[in-house]
Amino acid sequence: MTAALLLQSTIIGVSIGSIYILMALGLTLMFGMMHIINFAHGAVYMLGAFVIYYVFFQWGAPYFVAFLLAMVLLGVFGFLVERTVYRPIKGGIEPTLVALLALTTFLQAAGYPVFGQLDKHVPPVFRGTRDILGVMISSERLMIIPVAGVLVVGLYLFINKTRLGAAMRAIEQDKEAAALQGVNVHVVNGLAFAIGFALAAAAGALMAPIFKLDPMMGEQPLLKAFIIIILGGLGSIPGAILGGLMLGLIDSIVATALGAEPAFLLSFVFIIVLLLFKPTGLFGHAP
Amino acid sequence: MLRRIATPALLVVVLGLAVLVPWLGDYYVHVFALVFINVLLAASLRPSLTCGQLNIGHSAFMCVGAYASALLAKHFAVPFELSLLSGALLATVVGLAVGYPSLRLRGVYFAMVTVAFVEVVRLVAAIWVSLTRGNSGLSGIPKPNLLGMILTTKASQYYLIVFVTVVALVILWKLERSRLGLTWKSIGMADHLAQSLGVNIANYKLLAFMVGCFFAGVAGALYAHFIRFLFPPEFGFLVATNILVYNFVGGRDHFVGPIVGAVFLSLLSEPFRGSAYETIFFSIAMLLTILFLPGGLITLPGKLAGLRWGRAASAPTPSPTG
Repeated sequence: MTAALLLQSTIIGVSIGSIYILMALGLTLMFGMMHIINFAHGAVYMLGAFVIYYVFFQWGAPYFVAFLLAMVLLGVFGFLVERTVYRPIKGGIEPTLVALLALTTFLQAAGYPVFGQLDKHVPPVFRGTRDILGVMISSERLMIIPVAGVLVVGLYLFINKTRLGAAMRAIEQDKEAAALQGVNVHVVNGLAFAIGFALAAAAGALMAPIFKLDPMMGEQPLLKAFIIIILGGLGSIPGAILGGLMLGLIDSIVATALGAEPAFLLSFVFIIVLLLFKPTGLFGHAP
Repeated sequence: MLRRIATPALLVVVLGLAVLVPWLGDYYVHVFALVFINVLLAASLRPSLTCGQLNIGHSAFMCVGAYASALLAKHFAVPFELSLLSGALLATVVGLAVGYPSLRLRGVYFAMVTVAFVEVVRLVAAIWVSLTRGNSGLSGIPKPNLLGMILTTKASQYYLIVFVTVVALVILWKLERSRLGLTWKSIGMADHLAQSLGVNIANYKLLAFMVGCFFAGVAGALYAHFIRFLFPPEFGFLVATNILVYNFVGGRDHFVGPIVGAVFLSLLSEPFRGSAYETIFFSIAMLLTILFLPGGLITLPGKLAGLRWGRAASAPTPSPTG
């Protein structure tokens, strides 16, 4: 592998990693507060991509508008899922997880009759390539990095600088104590669902012009996000960011050298070995 | 008193009906053979679930058992009894290899890792083309034979599946009622308490997991020699979810729960088999059960009886013993 190819794979790896980070952040945020894993995250990613397909490609709205619409629509959907699925289920985490699993398979399967059997394609939004230190990178992939960066910084500021963000951190530390201090736990949990879904929708919307669209397209990013949050430690936001970058690089560099399937197998083996030595991930606290 | 007679009587009736299936025609033989395989898969997940381990990757071990048994029979003409056993043992060994590190994880961590099992096994089956023929699918799997006799008719293969499933269910039932089963249950209810009483929870969880893998491997081998065509995507995430769904829809508080769930859902979804509507149907059944009947279908008669006699529907219903 030449230096130029390595640089190119690295930049593409950061770009893929940015998508993974957007997926993993919502998962880890929701886990931190509610101790659930949102299996529906991959399906939300898929829906985000389909919003781009219909609003941007079919109806001709500007990409920027379609992108925001995807985030808002699926954010509202997330809020409703908290109200109709998460909140009514009693009896521990297990039934909630299975309910979210059922929601996932429902959204995926319903995608076939609703969106059609054939793969969909969205035309490129940012055309052409850019020259970075002598290697050519497609603008489409390059644009993912700043957009994801803005969203990550935005989330960081929201969690650390606003009252609602403080309420989220309070719930993460101690739900009962937060409720006693006047935090409306249900509404703030709903907000976490909304943020998580909106970020997953953003990831899907960013990938829509790059990959083909089909109802199962969220499966791979979801698995990657799982590996990332296990790697980084559940509930840890820095862990999700670092894990996302690492997996993006593994995916890009190993995939360039050996192929996509060995890259996935390698990241899985990596996880199993890590779990042998550090069962709570790199930054995690006890489950 | 009534209950003591009711359970065996029900068993005899169900088995009697199962024996009569071949008189309905080949289509029904096919459908019911798959129902029995689903029953076995659902029941094989139960030991893990009893320990409180949410395994969302059970189809991986079915896949291992199916391919191992099919390849042994196809290339080395290994008799069915032996290839089935080898497939099941290989599934158990694979279960040990992935279960040992991941069973140190509790709750959601474990659930997430099991999702990756499915993908890993499916990918290995898809990439290792020289062994498995990859995504072209493995065909030409021999029909099952028994004591050297080849079972040529679908009906005889169906009886074989029924027989193996019933034997497996009896073993799983005995295990659940044994001291071992009680230990598993205690881990599921309060693992810290069980640990404080001297139970080595890691080993017991691993054992429960491996028992499940063994019987998933048996189910896979039965499937392989009945359908006689294996295709990696068929062992994907959806099959694994369905196995979990059988357990939750049927009910997790009693051994018959997964059996009821598997029979009910497999038969009811039969008109849509293979289409997207099958999954839509499954997921809606799942959501409705969790939201409105958290104990599963097996609690339905108790709830209905409660309504009829004017008791509160939410009153605790005695779980059937038998």
